[in-house]
Amino acid sequence: MSATISQAALRELVGGLIAQGKRVAGPCEVKPGCVLYAPLVSSAQLVLEGFIRPANSLKEFIFPKHEELYGYRITGQGIELTEVEPLRAEQVLIAARPCDAAALPILDRVFNWDYKDELYNSRRQLTTIVTLACAAHDDACFCTSVGLGPAAERGSDALLLELGGGEYEVRCLTGKGKSLFDGKLQASERVASLPSGPEKRFEAAVVRAFVKENLESPFWPAQTLACLGCGACAYTCPTCHCFDIVDEGNIERGVRARNWDSCQFALFTLHASGHNPRPNQPSRQRQRIDHKFRIYPEKFGEILCTGCGNCARNCPVGMGVLRVVATLESSASGSAR
Amino acid sequence: MSDKPTEAAACDRPAEFEPKIVAFVCNWCTYLGADLAGTTRLEYPSNVRIIRLPCTGRIDFNLIIKAFEIGADSVLVSGCHPGDCHYTSGNYHARRRWILFRELLGALGFDLGRVYFTWISAAEGHKWQEVVKEITEKTRQMGPYTSLYQSPSAGVGATLVVAPEGGHKGRPYDAGVWGGEAELREACRRLLEEGKVKVVIGYGKRGPVFVTRPEDVEQLVWNDRCLANLTVYLKRKEIRALGRPAIVVKGCDERALVVLEKESQIDRKEMHVLGMACQGLGEAKCESCDVHMPRFADEVIGEADQHPAETGERWKSLQALLALPDADRMSYWATEFERCVKCYACRQVCPMCYCERCLVEKNRPTEIEPSATAKGNFAWHILRAFHLAGRCVGCDECTRACPAGIDLRLLNLSLAKAAEEHFGYRAGMDPKAEELIGAYSLQDKENFIR
Repeated sequence: MSATISQAALRELVGGLIAQGKRVAGPCEVKPGCVLYAPLVSSAQLVLEGFIRPANSLKEFIFPKHEELYGYRITGQGIELTEVEPLRAEQVLIAARPCDAAALPILDRVFNWDYKDELYNSRRQLTTIVTLACAAHDDACFCTSVGLGPAAERGSDALLLELGGGEYEVRCLTGKGKSLFDGKLQASERVASLPSGPEKRFEAAVVRAFVKENLESPFWPAQTLACLGCGACAYTCPTCHCFDIVDEGNIERGVRARNWDSCQFALFTLHASGHNPRPNQPSRQRQRIDHKFRIYPEKFGEILCTGCGNCARNCPVGMGVLRVVATLESSASGSAR
Repeated sequence: MSDKPTEAAACDRPAEFEPKIVAFVCNWCTYLGADLAGTTRLEYPSNVRIIRLPCTGRIDFNLIIKAFEIGADSVLVSGCHPGDCHYTSGNYHARRRWILFRELLGALGFDLGRVYFTWISAAEGHKWQEVVKEITEKTRQMGPYTSLYQSPSAGVGATLVVAPEGGHKGRPYDAGVWGGEAELREACRRLLEEGKVKVVIGYGKRGPVFVTRPEDVEQLVWNDRCLANLTVYLKRKEIRALGRPAIVVKGCDERALVVLEKESQIDRKEMHVLGMACQGLGEAKCESCDVHMPRFADEVIGEADQHPAETGERWKSLQALLALPDADRMSYWATEFERCVKCYACRQVCPMCYCERCLVEKNRPTEIEPSATAKGNFAWHILRAFHLAGRCVGCDECTRACPAGIDLRLLNLSLAKAAEEHFGYRAGMDPKAEELIGAYSLQDKENFIR
């Protein structure tokens, strides 16, 4: 026995949520051939099939690329601070990929470690995430190598699985998921078969051991020469979460805001003295792998990667975590032999 | 601002709208002209805020953008008449830049009816009075500039029918082999073995590869996935450290070498250029490509004339954009830029963006806001496009690299079109041609300057 919903009913549900004034976002073909997670203004914009995954990540609905922290005004007497409006708008993220949803519990840790990030946490609480299991994967996908899979339930409030014929099996995983689909589901005999995932490409433990022992290895410059130092990988990664804090305004007033930042930029580690501890692209690429497979796991017990493959698909020169890590594994096993 | 309602405002416009006009003027002529207007007691509206600069040649295009951002309804730029520049040629340089910049502003959907250029000398107090009166009056009639950076009210859904994402997306990596691959490998093996070069910068199966040993030349491929413009690597320290390079270029990439050499960034004698005869990659740029055979390479490899004939007119993709009304064009860009996350992939893949530190990274003071907001994104894309004016070779790498699918090529095209139409100039085509920006001609057209 399972609970199911038809595609038409799902779209109706989405249309209803939009009509209620909720912010609804999901995969949307923003232009021919380019599917991104984007706010939907009508349920017809929701794209459910015909692509591997959106080119951006879901994190921007929880941890936006630009967020105002507070405002300030310089008066004759001093500085006045103004709080930002507390967040109230509920949002529903629909047809998210499991690799995007799984990133959020991983991010929860860093945003609630020494400092509880209110903006992040309130967005998390106000958000319901409905994932759609992947029916297809491409050669950039590697969720199975980091302990996830095409139907991973982690981070989802409800999981949809394709049954064929425009029907989805719905697995409500949390209270939020249950209340979203309350009264909308049909009982059915059909049970979705689990979709097959990509082949396992590497052992995360081997990667971790390699980066720990090979910080100065010639592997890094040799494998990362092509990197041009843009932030396309980090900014479309569901788990990359570095940010920069800036003041923007004029001599009278302004805002303090946080913007995404990336360890691939030269300025990321530049000291005021002019010294840069990561002076070149190989050291920055190494940092990216090191952070994902050693530093984060050591600190929070989780790999900072969900295997979505966005880094590879968006890299203008065909790199990405998988390509670096897969070559690293072969050179690690090579040195062990 | 004066609270006194003027006569014109009393007609049918709401009395409270008083246009804000920012005037960037040259210290040596217009500023003195305005001063003369004052000392001779000529009356003119107080709506104009004068900002004095040493020369029109020093008026950064960003200042015009900034003026609009902080609420100007119109902007005036005014300097010395041709022949009168205190520094000999500052106004000629400025004129050439404004010709191009107006075209970019037009392509972005700025209201060009709000950007004025004049020549006013120190003796022309009356002309200053007339110009300010006229601009104030016109701006009052146009009303406040509210469409700046406005996205369409309906949310997502740009009104423009655009070309689909580049043909490479979703194309398999091992699509096939083009003629010349074996020849290319052989040439590289020879170059490496003879020690003529230390590294070959070429295409591998998944992206650029750097081959340093003759036995590794099998890594090199030549097919319709060879998209990147590899000349971007010539300026990178890690690659330079490898020693004298051989570089694989297509005819379109080769244009970048011409510009880089012109700008003293590379020395052609310090490298070996392997030109590949290209059959077209299925990208938008390939439709109107007329450089499929490299022209300046040290050796050309591949089957000549396999490239399909040009089918597209060079400015075809611009037509739909330029046909839109100003406000719609701006809302198209606002929708596009909303997706920009400022990953700077467009900059990093560009062979022409070789500054050690980009203007956007300077923060004392901040010239371009680093935030990915409408303001910050417009400022960034205007900066990027205009710094490439007369330099962009149209390789479209920026567009291919953009993870948000923004059609940046349209901005580059608008400037390339302006360069060709006004100056008969195409970047990277003729190594002997004088650079577009940095040079000037007494004949540059000035029908938009009063």
